[in-house]
Amino acid sequence: MSLYSADKNNVYQVMSVPEIGLLKNLGVREGTKVAIQQKYALGGPVLLNIEDSFLVAIGKDIATKITVGKMP
Amino acid sequence: MKKKILLMGNPNVGKSIFFTELTGVHAVSSNFAGTTVDFLEGRLKIGGEEYVLIDVPGTYSLNPSSEAEAVASRLMEDGAVAVICVLDATNLERNLHLAMELMQYDVPIIFALNMTDVAERQGITVDTARLSQELNAPVIKTVAVKKEGFDTLLERLAEVLQISDCGGKCEKCHSCKDEEKWLSAKEITGRVTKKNTSSPSFLDRLGLKMIQPFPGLPIAAVVLAALVGVVVFGGRMLRMPLIMLTDGLIIPFLRTLFEGIFAFFATEGGSLSYRYLFYDGGFQTGFRVFYDGAFRSVSYDVYSAVSGGFADILLNVLIGEYGIFVISFQWIIALILPYVFSFYIGITFLEDSGYLPRVSVLFDNLMRKLGVQGGSLIHVFLALGCAVPAILGSRTATTRKEKMMIATVICFAVPCISQIGALVALMGAFSWWMSPLMLLFAIFVFIVTALIAGKIIKGKTDPLILEIPNLLMPNPKTYFRKLWIRMKHFLKDAELPMLGAVFLAALLAGTGVLQMIASNPQVQLVVSGWLGMPGDAVIALILGIVRREMSVAPLLTLYPSLTHLQAFVAGVVSLLYLPCLSVFGILAKEFRIRFALAIFAGTIVSAIFVGGIVNQIGGLFL
Repeated sequence: MSLYSADKNNVYQVMSVPEIGLLKNLGVREGTKVAIQQKYALGGPVLLNIEDSFLVAIGKDIATKITVGKMP
Repeated sequence: MKKKILLMGNPNVGKSIFFTELTGVHAVSSNFAGTTVDFLEGRLKIGGEEYVLIDVPGTYSLNPSSEAEAVASRLMEDGAVAVICVLDATNLERNLHLAMELMQYDVPIIFALNMTDVAERQGITVDTARLSQELNAPVIKTVAVKKEGFDTLLERLAEVLQISDCGGKCEKCHSCKDEEKWLSAKEITGRVTKKNTSSPSFLDRLGLKMIQPFPGLPIAAVVLAALVGVVVFGGRMLRMPLIMLTDGLIIPFLRTLFEGIFAFFATEGGSLSYRYLFYDGGFQTGFRVFYDGAFRSVSYDVYSAVSGGFADILLNVLIGEYGIFVISFQWIIALILPYVFSFYIGITFLEDSGYLPRVSVLFDNLMRKLGVQGGSLIHVFLALGCAVPAILGSRTATTRKEKMMIATVICFAVPCISQIGALVALMGAFSWWMSPLMLLFAIFVFIVTALIAGKIIKGKTDPLILEIPNLLMPNPKTYFRKLWIRMKHFLKDAELPMLGAVFLAALLAGTGVLQMIASNPQVQLVVSGWLGMPGDAVIALILGIVRREMSVAPLLTLYPSLTHLQAFVAGVVSLLYLPCLSVFGILAKEFRIRFALAIFAGTIVSAIFVGGIVNQIGGLFL
């Protein structure tokens, strides 16, 4: 499912990421563990806790292109 | 050949604080990614040898994704004698990924494990000895804001500098792929860190609350109201002592100084030739008209000076009741500085605490509808201080269009604090509701400008990708140093152009050029007919080219004769009107000259056009 439609407070594993340098450099890659910390109304971003380590806000237009799945 | 030592690391790990402490050259630091967008150099002496320490813009990787990050990889390619890599202990994995990239180069490297205090607060402990083994390089624990670990860092750096290369150690991951580096970073992090699941501290919990729509939005409203309160009331409270300072100390001192100089030259008779050059009557009459008109008050001294000699006139022009020095110091120190100071008290606190990225995330949904991402709000906040660093800061933008959008919105709709001070003073002289009304109008202009600029400027903007830093209590020492540097810069950057602008005003009036412009039928049609302003107000439009607050300040001297509508129209024109000369310098440097010229023309035309519309519509109701 897309990251944008993922549920708040759940933990996921990233399945695929679009080719965006900054995302990659931040460590959002295939296999990265992400927790949905917060979602925002009106087309707002998704706030991720990456690998239990730091917070990154990702805008809607990218979040819809990232797919995530349940943690194995 | 300079021996360069590079200070590298992820954004917002504290490199600039290391730089300031090690070199004594002040680098601005804040608590969000992208405060340093260009490199800074400072000298550093180690073991009797001199080195150049370079504060490199923070980067997540050597594969750059913005202009600022490209600077980092270019500097690394250029080569150095050593690298100090600053690691954020709360974020080791991602930081180690950059470390792996740096270790590919044939340069000795030393690691500073920073923010260990914040890590401890979060229950994270890092085994530095183990990390040092894993990386095959020295690792020193530091808390940069408290200057902890610097002595050890310098000692070990001296040892590292003895090695000319990394002795083959750096080959370790030379050919490995990015994926392997991440894996290795993850494995090392796992081996060297221990994480206690202790209950989060108050600041960590507050940091999370601030970023939730509830209570984040109410908190944002309170924080912004507090900022406005600090600026308006702090500014008003500071004005009294500062008026006493200028009128009681600075101006009398300058007066005595100038009178002394003049008395000296008068006895020498040195100004005789100047007397012939200028003493032709026109100059003095011009000044009289200028004072009479623009400042709405005729100095008795000036009248009396007409019958006196040139020296008396010049003395009056310089230091008389409405002299160049008197007016410029009164405007800068007693009118503008109180607001500038109180604004920086507030905004510096917000910058260093890590609040700004949080509020940017909360408003990303609205900003996105305007065609820019929420992260741009950080630049807007900075522009409320001064547009120049804000436009430079937009180098962190990932696309050209976004950078241009930020610059455009700032130039049209975001007044700098100097201008805000003058606007608040003018509006406040009329009614309490004038300033809030002006604020609503500015927000309206902001929205319209963003929507129009989004249509005109070609290209695309990237959606938000923003790291949220830990919420911190600003370190008092760093905070006050930054505040002090900012005030010093303000006084240095503002007083001279202000002096120049006031001199220009006197000159234009003195030579009759101002009267010529003001009496030009076309100018009268625009200023008096379309904008409904008194003819003298044209001086504000001329001076406003130099500095932003100058498009308002001259009107303060006209204020008893202005109506509410005229004051508001003056505010509207000033808001949209040209940013200052320094901003043009930056625009021409950061963009093509065509863009700078477009802003130049666009701001003038829209200021006159919109100001007139407001006047015409307001006239219908009043």
